[in-house]
Amino acid sequence: MLRFNPLTKKKLQRFRSIKRGYWSFLILVFLYLISLAGELLVNKRALVVSYGGKFFFPTYGQQMSGKDFGLGYDYEVNYRELKRKFTQENRDDWVLMPPVPYGPYEMDYRLEESNGFSPPSFERRHYCGTDKTERDVLARLLYGFRIAMTFAMGYLVLTYLIAIAVGSFMGYLGGKSDMLGLRFVEIWANVPFLYMVIILVSVMPGGWGIGWQVSSLLIIMVLFSWTGMTYYIRASVYKEKARDYISAAKVIGAGPFRIVFKHLLPNVVSTLVTFAPFTIAAAISSITALDFLGYGLPPPTPSWGELLKQGVNNLRTAPWIVTSTVTALVLTLTLVTFVGEAIREAFDPKKFSIYE
Amino acid sequence: MNIAKHLIPLLLFLTNFFFSGCDNPKLKPPRTVSPSKEEKEAMPDKPIDREFARELAREFAREFAIEFARQMKGSGSFSMSEIGGSEEKNATVIPSGMVNERGEPHPLLADCSEDVLEFYQTNADCFSIASVNDIPAHLNWQEGTEEKEFSSPEARKGGTWEVFMRDFPRTLRTIGPDANGAFRSYLLDYNVISLVHSHPNSDGYYPGLATSWAVGEDGRTVYFKLDPEARYSDGEKVKVSDFFFFFYFMRSKHIQAPWYNDFYGKDKFQKVTLYDEETLSITFYKAKPDVVERVSIRAKPEHFYGELDGEFLSKYQWNPEPTTGAYVALPENVDKGKSITLVRQPDWWATQKRFFRHRFNPDKIKVSVVRDINKAFEIFLKGGVDMFGLAKTEFWYDKLPDDHELVSKGYLSKVTFFNQTPPPSYALRINSQKPPFDDLNIRIGFHHAMNFEMVLERIFRGDFVRMNTVADGYGDRSHPTLKAREFSIEKALDSFAKAGFTKRGGDGILINDSGERLSVELLTGYRHFEDVLVVLKEQAKKAGLELKLKVLEPTASWKAANEKNHQVIFSAFNSFVELFPRFWEPYHSDNAYQESGDSKYQDDGSLKPNLTTKVSTNNFTQTAVRAIDNLINQYREEEDLGRITQMAHKLSKLIHDHAVWVPAWKKPWLRIGHWNWIKFPEDWGPRESRDYEEFQVFWIDPSEKKKILEAMEKGEPVSEKPTIRIYEKYKSR
Repeated sequence: MLRFNPLTKKKLQRFRSIKRGYWSFLILVFLYLISLAGELLVNKRALVVSYGGKFFFPTYGQQMSGKDFGLGYDYEVNYRELKRKFTQENRDDWVLMPPVPYGPYEMDYRLEESNGFSPPSFERRHYCGTDKTERDVLARLLYGFRIAMTFAMGYLVLTYLIAIAVGSFMGYLGGKSDMLGLRFVEIWANVPFLYMVIILVSVMPGGWGIGWQVSSLLIIMVLFSWTGMTYYIRASVYKEKARDYISAAKVIGAGPFRIVFKHLLPNVVSTLVTFAPFTIAAAISSITALDFLGYGLPPPTPSWGELLKQGVNNLRTAPWIVTSTVTALVLTLTLVTFVGEAIREAFDPKKFSIYE
Repeated sequence: MNIAKHLIPLLLFLTNFFFSGCDNPKLKPPRTVSPSKEEKEAMPDKPIDREFARELAREFAREFAIEFARQMKGSGSFSMSEIGGSEEKNATVIPSGMVNERGEPHPLLADCSEDVLEFYQTNADCFSIASVNDIPAHLNWQEGTEEKEFSSPEARKGGTWEVFMRDFPRTLRTIGPDANGAFRSYLLDYNVISLVHSHPNSDGYYPGLATSWAVGEDGRTVYFKLDPEARYSDGEKVKVSDFFFFFYFMRSKHIQAPWYNDFYGKDKFQKVTLYDEETLSITFYKAKPDVVERVSIRAKPEHFYGELDGEFLSKYQWNPEPTTGAYVALPENVDKGKSITLVRQPDWWATQKRFFRHRFNPDKIKVSVVRDINKAFEIFLKGGVDMFGLAKTEFWYDKLPDDHELVSKGYLSKVTFFNQTPPPSYALRINSQKPPFDDLNIRIGFHHAMNFEMVLERIFRGDFVRMNTVADGYGDRSHPTLKAREFSIEKALDSFAKAGFTKRGGDGILINDSGERLSVELLTGYRHFEDVLVVLKEQAKKAGLELKLKVLEPTASWKAANEKNHQVIFSAFNSFVELFPRFWEPYHSDNAYQESGDSKYQDDGSLKPNLTTKVSTNNFTQTAVRAIDNLINQYREEEDLGRITQMAHKLSKLIHDHAVWVPAWKKPWLRIGHWNWIKFPEDWGPRESRDYEEFQVFWIDPSEKKKILEAMEKGEPVSEKPTIRIYEKYKSR
């Protein structure tokens, strides 16, 4: 178990006492957990199928073919049609669909007139309407949220790893390595982030599947944006290094690794933590921006940027796309910012200062 | 000098490396129009104007490098003059009648500068002056009298026609770097008069600068008689020597247009002969059935250029050449960065000529820059732009629906005009060299797994039709019965099973005995067709095929395809209005592998192992089939139209059987919206219209404009019915 020192415990308590931030945090965690279980809520696969006296749970696991349920095809079952068939034939078999019975990739070209951009409809269970290729906007929003959040967290972890490594290296060693390291960071920081990412993504060779493309996008983004944090880490390490307890540790004979990991980092953590939510917000906005420009996740990955782009191009004819996406984006970013504010306040060494 | 010799090739390679990715590999021949406005508007994500100029620059860079490589191979040394085509090193003077014994030029060439005359003399095998008696006596002179005019006698002159372009042109030259932008069409393609024009409603020709023409006995020399009234916009007469000068110009290295240097090179245009002040002949390398069209060049105003030097590009950057066409771009009408206004010459020489009267009607064409397509559309709805291409489904159905107030009240018309012209070749090109596509069964299965039916029905709402062969839109030369393979899960599965993919994996994708998944990568540079590919991907899953989509920048995707690194690429090339399709570039094995000719094949007709892939060619399918090669070789030599037709059919079928090209769609129409003060002839436009402005047959009715604007102010309708027009006269099949 993690053992927090009393100071950190106090900070956490203070965070809990800031209601707005605390509740935002809970809501955000809740939303993310929901999105992780998205397959149970928004999915084209059924939750439960009762067929021939047996129960099937197709949500996770292998794809079931039409032939498994007595249909004439061997590609994936269309569970909505299966349900309709069972109802029509008045059989004992039944299908339980999730609340939103559509997947994020699936085009619901069922009706004659549905050629894309169908408005929100409770009857068809497209609660946020459909996009250009008749995919459910809500489904794409939810899975897009999951991907964006996961992506943002991966981004956070990776940037911090690099920043901590480089920052504490410079800060702890000081002298020439600090001077050279800092110059390198300054030069690297001046490489324009968005352009570099766009250029690299657009020429990136494919061929290793979508997972590879997503992670390489992540790596490229991290590669050009870790620099910002190093300054803070370096400064904090510098500050802490001069304290007596570090000297004491040195006198006892602790090696540099022990000092950095055991003594310095725990005290630098507060700096890191205050920045974390804003890094998450930045990551979400940049991945959305990249997708909007068309350089982000490979199609047809559900993404907010792609939805926004469709929405903006069809502002008048399909306003529901823009409305739902912007609402979701604003909501998420506001929540993240509230959390960030609260953390910043809770970890503020000057307890009674006012944060604006 | 030595350093320069090494630097130039290096630079060329570098430019090639940088620019070898480009969108359109087919090089544009000079007499075809740049892609229609409709086409441009169908791809709003792409800044066409700029992009096109760049593309051409890239093409030129590539052509340059290829040419360079060829030169290097051939001679082991590199000389700019060889690319320029002037061949200075072979400078031996052949007596040709161009100068007399005293060294004075022939009267027809009296105004030539020394440099130009020297060029003619150096290339005396290409340029000659003969006497009138040398014209064969029994020529069958044509004047196009049997052809019908395609303009309307009701047309009247006047008004300003407001159009938009996406980007301001970087030059008013019509050749050289940056010249191939969208604006060039207004200066050149829609405007300038050639010797003879092919008739857009028939297979015949109508006279332009030449009043009459005749094909010689050899079938490859065409004789022209110039119209004595033909004038440039600066009042100078069009002279026969201007057609000599045309080749001096086009073969000059100073225009920095290697493609044109090559296209008008002496291996194709073998000889130009002047007989008197009105008669000339041009000899083509082969007696092709459409030889008249091929040699029908434009005049180059020698009096304007004099001779060319290294200053050419900068000197003529904003100084347009005098034109034989109706509209002139004068420097004072250029508002840099904003608009260019073209003015119709009041005393244009061809105003009263058959085939030109009742055309080119507006007094002015004002071309303004609007960078964003959606903004341009809003300006159009306000009446600031007179016409707007509505090819895109969302414009036609959603943004300007039939019940839109402007349409229902009769202010605006929505027009569908069925045309007949070779469509841009939208298709999935399968690289038959890359596994698993080296197996014919996989390729056939792939064809059947592509649900273009759904794409056409749902995304294009049934307005586009399926392309069927590799050569659609060439009239009789297109295969009459061949059909594209339909979407069929059973057939796809059967075919995949033959290739060993029999079981489905846990995710529904087929696997073979060694556990390989049936997964291929589909590359494209068309971000705006992402929705199409998404539909294909989702549908292909049903047939157990996984498509991994890879949408890159056009340049990057082009580069990958040029290096033949793709498995499947979705792309389109512009087709030209030509009599018969081209097969050599995309399907001959010489464009697939470096080993030449038949040496690629083993005795049984299969390919030898370890062949070297040839990059930077148009054979994106890496087709190498002995039977196809042989037929293409014959096809290229053939001069008889009947046999060409047969061979084209046979080739289409062979390529279909080889299954490397999944045809996508074509638009059988032009779809535009226009304000109702723009009037069109009864048939709307000629059969081969690829663009609403191509033949300039419309006119502006000022009184109607006043009426409509007044009615709009009051909110009164001007028509009882919505103005929606469909012209089906040229609807095919």
